[in-house]
Amino acid sequence: MDAEAMKLLGAGLAIGLGGIGPGIGIGILGAGAMNALGRNPEARGPIMMNMIIAIALAEAVAIYAFIVAILLAMVV
Amino acid sequence: MKLGCSTRLLLIIGVPLVVLTIGGLVIGGVVSAIMGREPFAGAPRPEVPPEVIAHLGAIPITNTMITAWLTTIVLVVLFWIATRRMKLVPRGLQNLMEWAVEMLLNFVEGVVGKEKGRRLFPVIATIFLFVFVNAWMGLIPGYSSIVLKETHAGETVLVPLLRPANTDLNVTLALALVSFVFVEYLGIRYQGFFRYVRKFVNLGPLLNGLRQLFTGKLRAGLGGLMMGAIEAFVGFIEALSELVRIVSFTFRLFGNMTAGEILPLLMFFLAPFVVPVFFYSFEMLVGLVQALIFGGLTLAFAAVATTESEHH
Repeated sequence: MDAEAMKLLGAGLAIGLGGIGPGIGIGILGAGAMNALGRNPEARGPIMMNMIIAIALAEAVAIYAFIVAILLAMVV
Repeated sequence: MKLGCSTRLLLIIGVPLVVLTIGGLVIGGVVSAIMGREPFAGAPRPEVPPEVIAHLGAIPITNTMITAWLTTIVLVVLFWIATRRMKLVPRGLQNLMEWAVEMLLNFVEGVVGKEKGRRLFPVIATIFLFVFVNAWMGLIPGYSSIVLKETHAGETVLVPLLRPANTDLNVTLALALVSFVFVEYLGIRYQGFFRYVRKFVNLGPLLNGLRQLFTGKLRAGLGGLMMGAIEAFVGFIEALSELVRIVSFTFRLFGNMTAGEILPLLMFFLAPFVVPVFFYSFEMLVGLVQALIFGGLTLAFAAVATTESEHH
């Protein structure tokens, strides 16, 4: 395999593997929020707000992976 | 079935949308590559370091710096216009600004309480507004289309004059440092220097254990030594997590904003019509949420630093 192929493979693996963790995390967060919503439908506003913040924190990890992938594929 | 509009209207809007989406996919990057054609739009060429526009003496002026200044100017002018002729019953811009400030104040006071909230509010609100206005200004259509022609090694390249400041690692690092210093200052201010530092450098129990060991109380000394080592290690971890915050603050904002810059362009390359609109609106949400996270996390850390740790 030449360097170019390795680079593209690395980029694909970076975002692919990097997406697993945040995906699971956001899934768990969404499930937790739905649970909370089912138990206490009146608390919709705060639950939504906290869920979005927590999701953005989990998603940041995927963003790191995305940046690494972009760097590998296009800049390096 | 109820659609909320007539079937005819749905067809008039829906069919062109579907056609545009499919047509966009056909002339987009992937299909073009398979068919061996030139795609409708070129693939984005991301530039990670900001481009230098001019020099002020020995200091290089980058396009992200210009945007940071522009953001500050926009904020100042906006608030100046809004508060120029203040009315008791606000209307228009004043109303909007009061609403925004009130939302932020309620958010801050909701976390740390009324009295502390007033003191923390200015810094948190400034961070929030800077990040937020910066992100949304970068989404204005045509924002990064203002370009300068520059010649690098015989080649003419287009350098955007404006580029969202938070796509520059230096700006996000500066913000993270502001947030870090702010939190540490508050910790020292509210708890006193020695009490606050003891959270990180906790050698008291360890020295105590050593003293007991040397004065002959072997069992108590060994136990104290053990506990002291654990306490010192916990303090070390605490200090480390404090420092790691700078890095995570920096890269979270930088990553999100840089991805926000690249992602719509990438979608434009893959499917030029309809699809990028969703990503555009997604980036609006990201700008708001990232501003909220930067401000909110600073607030949360400040809340932890200002409340005294219970077991000392």
